[in-house]
Amino acid sequence: MPLYMTNAVQGAITDAAKQKIATDITRIHCDVTDAPPAFVHAFFVEDAPHMPLDGKAAFLLGSIRAGRSAEQKAQIIDEMRQAIHEHSGLPQDDIQVVIRDTPASWVMEGGDIMPEPGEEDDWFAAHEARKAAENA
Amino acid sequence: MTTCNCIVQAGQISGETQAGLRSRLDAFSQASFGSPAEIGWVEIAPGSGYTATQPSTSSIVSLTADKPLEQSERIPMLRDLCDLWSAETGCSLDEIVGVINDPA
Repeated sequence: MPLYMTNAVQGAITDAAKQKIATDITRIHCDVTDAPPAFVHAFFVEDAPHMPLDGKAAFLLGSIRAGRSAEQKAQIIDEMRQAIHEHSGLPQDDIQVVIRDTPASWVMEGGDIMPEPGEEDDWFAAHEARKAAENA
Repeated sequence: MTTCNCIVQAGQISGETQAGLRSRLDAFSQASFGSPAEIGWVEIAPGSGYTATQPSTSSIVSLTADKPLEQSERIPMLRDLCDLWSAETGCSLDEIVGVINDPA
């Protein structure tokens, strides 16, 4: 977590573009939130019925840990829409980006409950210590 | 029915393993929430999944509880969920994201 899932019309985003968009998604999320890149998942699907396009060519749904400000979310939406536009050539108004909050306490990654925003350093230290103890 | 959405990387989980995993998830749902799992299964095509900018080996499994949960209930459920996924698929815990949502 975060999980950034993009659904697009088949062929609208090439594999080369997906890699560039995934890199930008990771950079943008980390720049805006100070989260570590290790947490960022960027997945792409095509014509997926569980993510209706509603007439758009691409729909990016970002599920992020709750606690980010409205300004941070707006910046993420603007910059990720721009990244998809730049790498795919799709018009900006044909790209929808939505951010959805998920409480960190509802998510387990790496066998540990996710940290609240800003508590990542302590989480990584505890996570690595637990793994080391288990492997000792 | 309990909503259970699984997102996996294509080719990572065989059909046989998927069948076993579906059975285990159904049993987990029955034991935890008292109803069978309605499983949504999405495979991410090669070249379409990235974690930390690198090709991803991560799986996401997300269920919605039948009622709001206390953390003291949710944490052991998440641990069981991630452990069963790891045991059934051979994925490490670092490759598994488990989510148990409260109902909307």
